[in-house]
Amino acid sequence: MSDSRQPLLKVRDLTVTFGPRRRRLSAVAGVSFEIYEGETLGLVGESGCGKSTTGRALMRIVEPSGGSVELDGVEVTSLKGAALRRLRTRMQMIFQDPISSLNPRRRVRDIVAEPLDCWQSAKGEDRRRVVDELLHQVGIDPDLYGERFARQFSGGQCQRISIARSLAMKPKLLICDEMVSALDVSVQAQILNLLEDLKAQYGLTLLFIAHDLAVVKNVSDRVAVMYLGKICEIGPSDTLYESPEHPYTSFLLGAALEADPDSPAHREVLSGEPPSPLNPPSGCRFRTRCPLAQDRCTSEEPALREVGDGHRVACHFPLSLERR
Amino acid sequence: MSDSSPLLEVTDLCTTFTTPTGPVAAVSGVSFTLNHDETLGIVGESGSGKTVLSRTVMGLQPRRNVVVTGSSRLNGVELVGASEAEKRRVWGLEVAMIFQDPMTSLNPVMRIGKQIDEILRVRRGLSRSAARDRAIELLELVGIPSPTQRYREYPGALSGGMRQRVVIAAALAGSPQLLMADEPTTGLDVTIQAQILNLLDDLRARLRMSVVLVTHDLGVVATRTSRLVVMYAGRVVEVGSTRDLFARHRMPYTRALLEGSPRLSNPAHTRLVTIPGRPPNLAQLPAGCSFAPRCAYATAQCHVERPELQPADGLGHYFACWNPLPTPTGVS
Repeated sequence: MSDSRQPLLKVRDLTVTFGPRRRRLSAVAGVSFEIYEGETLGLVGESGCGKSTTGRALMRIVEPSGGSVELDGVEVTSLKGAALRRLRTRMQMIFQDPISSLNPRRRVRDIVAEPLDCWQSAKGEDRRRVVDELLHQVGIDPDLYGERFARQFSGGQCQRISIARSLAMKPKLLICDEMVSALDVSVQAQILNLLEDLKAQYGLTLLFIAHDLAVVKNVSDRVAVMYLGKICEIGPSDTLYESPEHPYTSFLLGAALEADPDSPAHREVLSGEPPSPLNPPSGCRFRTRCPLAQDRCTSEEPALREVGDGHRVACHFPLSLERR
Repeated sequence: MSDSSPLLEVTDLCTTFTTPTGPVAAVSGVSFTLNHDETLGIVGESGSGKTVLSRTVMGLQPRRNVVVTGSSRLNGVELVGASEAEKRRVWGLEVAMIFQDPMTSLNPVMRIGKQIDEILRVRRGLSRSAARDRAIELLELVGIPSPTQRYREYPGALSGGMRQRVVIAAALAGSPQLLMADEPTTGLDVTIQAQILNLLDDLRARLRMSVVLVTHDLGVVATRTSRLVVMYAGRVVEVGSTRDLFARHRMPYTRALLEGSPRLSNPAHTRLVTIPGRPPNLAQLPAGCSFAPRCAYATAQCHVERPELQPADGLGHYFACWNPLPTPTGVS
């Protein structure tokens, strides 16, 4: 079990709020989790649930408003200046839109070498060797394509170049924010396989943020489900997908479409839409759409509690109680 | 009208765009039929021509720089080469379209009700008050809560899922027999996607419409279509009943599409089956089979001679491949 390992990243009560005091939006409203060395944690949820903001807050692309983030024992939220920049070499992020992540007017080799240039960690012949090696790793022939411009590449190839760039400083943690959702099926499979290979080769730890449940299951050891700024369930991916405890997880899985004509077409579908994060419901945030909600859900917010080996759920009436 | 003749008959349809760098064949030689009360899925990756096909079928294409040949007959009315006036008689009343992006399909500075009224008043000749009542009915039909209030609101006040419902209501205003839905749920969340797809299914059955569902997502079409057309580089590479295509596909590309997408039922860290490369540039298509450069089964013949669609059985399953996959045995 992963719990015996050291957590590489420890997040406690992370909050991110936007806007002025009177219209304060809590995009992330107290999120805690850890990521153990060498594992992949999947983070799923619908749009607006705060999954991307969580990823960005870890990198301090957006400033957290509260809570703590520890990477390898170093508190991230209080770092400044050079120390913060140095930290970012140890965690890197890959974004959703591969084409706009790269400067269209720069050459591939220079894009990948940028982190090396910033830190002056490799120069001349050495720099060239490191960059070509990285491009090889991600399946781009440096001799053929190294001097081309980023604008000459397709989405899948741009995503490969982004991956090469993110690996240049040999980071420990890679945060992938919807990195395959803009790609076609056949290209998506290539990138997912590549990510698994590189993870093994570089000993990476991954936070994989996506809305697609099947994609997340395919790469993750553990999965966390977010709803309206909070984690409602977290656990080993096989357990979570086979026997979800939170009603929201169960609906999310039920709504996912399987490419299988024999799968039931009309499963029970969650009605309504997520409430506005400007004015979240009292108590459990899911109660307004939950068919199992009772009075207690309105008055008391459920805390994450252990229901199985590493499986935690924030619900007063988890589904296993219901099944009994 | 007789239900035995197909609602839509597309024969050898080609759409070629003239660009400064030469002609681009976005759709080449596509033929299919759609019966009354049937849902047809058109699947393919981006650039496969599925969107251009769905637009050309209903006569919707740019005025300039495009050459369309072949035929697309809706209820016997030819839409290829039809005049604007002829097409206007058909659009909205016999065929309606839902576009991919519900955010941009509606006019942001026009009240929702007015956008539905418009069709009812102009096309159906209803009076102002009758159109209003009908529009509110339609909003209710597509599951919009408190339709009377929503009628007066602007699209900006609605979420993506709600906007797509409004777009569907507007499409239904003319009581079309054919609804073309181009990626109707792409960009929506999974729970909202399931709601919209269920709504479309429900409406199709209730209003006895036919639906063409254009998508890149095999999960969307798996349980909601009776027949499937698989497109690659502007051509149909396989067509058949949805069950046949999932269980007994013969074209290697169809298999790649099916096995390349991660499944919920797979255990974590399942190695995905991939095909190398990416979809070809439509301006520089290879001579033979367009899929040959990426295909593991390609032979010399594949690179020089293009395979035509050939029947797999007598049941409407066709594929275009020189080296088809064997039919699996023991699959019911």
